[in-house]
Amino acid sequence: MRAAKLLASLAFAVLLHLVGTRLLPTFPERVDVFLVIVALSALGGSTLQAMLFGLLAGLAQDTLASGPFGLFGFADTAVAYGMARLAQRLVIQRATGVFAVVSFASLLQQVLVAALAFLLLSNPSLPEPLGMLEQAAAKAAACGVLGMVIYGLGGRFRLAFEARRRGRMGRLRLG
Amino acid sequence: MDERRTGYLLTVLLLGQLVLVAIEGARSTRSRTYAEMIGMRVLGPMARLVTAASGGAVAAGHKVELQGQLLDENRRLRRDVEELRLRLLRLGDVEQELARLGDAVRYSAPLLGEIRAVDVVYADYASWLRSLMLYTGSQPAVVNQPVLSSAGLVGRVVVVAGPYAKVQLITDRAASVGAMILRTRRQGVVRGSGQEGGGLSLEYVPVSVDVRPGDSVLTAGIDGVYPRGIPVGTVVSVEAGGQLFHKIRLAPAVDLGALDQVYLLEHAPLPQQLVKAVPNARR
Repeated sequence: MRAAKLLASLAFAVLLHLVGTRLLPTFPERVDVFLVIVALSALGGSTLQAMLFGLLAGLAQDTLASGPFGLFGFADTAVAYGMARLAQRLVIQRATGVFAVVSFASLLQQVLVAALAFLLLSNPSLPEPLGMLEQAAAKAAACGVLGMVIYGLGGRFRLAFEARRRGRMGRLRLG
Repeated sequence: MDERRTGYLLTVLLLGQLVLVAIEGARSTRSRTYAEMIGMRVLGPMARLVTAASGGAVAAGHKVELQGQLLDENRRLRRDVEELRLRLLRLGDVEQELARLGDAVRYSAPLLGEIRAVDVVYADYASWLRSLMLYTGSQPAVVNQPVLSSAGLVGRVVVVAGPYAKVQLITDRAASVGAMILRTRRQGVVRGSGQEGGGLSLEYVPVSVDVRPGDSVLTAGIDGVYPRGIPVGTVVSVEAGGQLFHKIRLAPAVDLGALDQVYLLEHAPLPQQLVKAVPNARR
């Protein structure tokens, strides 16, 4: 059940990424949907699950990008593990907390990707440092907002689902 | 699984991917991994679905407007067809003359080869790792196959997974094309800048060569991938880069952001002598 949920969330991320890119060509530059989903799943606190999901989401992202295969896979695996370890030590209940964690995860991922590209690629052609910083900050903020929205919507959906389930159980007992 | 084992697994996974990235990063050409091909087979249909759905939505949204414009467009297209027919007639003459002159000096110019239209199902031309994914249908693409649009060169196929193919755009940071300046026939290498805006640079053109903004740059047919004569871009600026070479910036001939259909060049014809020498070579 848990695996099906994670796969569904990955499919959702892929669809959101594809639709976003179709509607707004600069979408992949502005928001990283895969990272948001990875960070949110890591908030559950299970390091193994977060790590494997990060790997899967990162490789999906690598499939759609033109860089060397494994670049985002590496970054997302590491970020997912780190976020899961963080979630074991922190209790995040507010949406602003989610914003902070997802934004931090996005920054961490971008630093890892840039460092890997700089160290391992023969011609990384990274953007100018100042522009890259600005872009990274804006992307982290956008990811944080998206994470907050998805977290909020997910919470509402869970509550509605629970209320409906309780209502049905009540009717069953009465009947 | 306890935390220690998870830590070991993490180390193995990260090291494995690090090695993969390092190997690919060191190579000048892209290698395909099975994981990437599986990924393309899974994500390709989703990308195709999104493209089809968005195309349908746009068409539905513009239906009324389109109906109003259809007559005008039809008229304009008929006029274009007439003009193109006339141009084709003139080019037919030129082609015959070229063949006659070629025969006189025993020279045959390499043909461009046949082209096949394919659909773009995913395009990310804005981000740092820009890419293009194509749906080629029942006839799969071939690695290194040139990809063109009606305006010029788009790139080459780097990964093929069944009916899906990933294209390395000429603006990609790792792309390079053997090119020449049309006016002077001087050859150089066009590289993708990988920067925002998707510009190109023409390298290894000596400072002694006359290069001007507005000069057209075509493929030179010297790299073994692209045939000669495909428009690559136009010179935007020429600066003194160093003691030996110009620093030339180009604007791509193709608006990569507006691609929904591209053409695969079916095959680059091999020289006749090579065909005779290697009778089993793929043509």
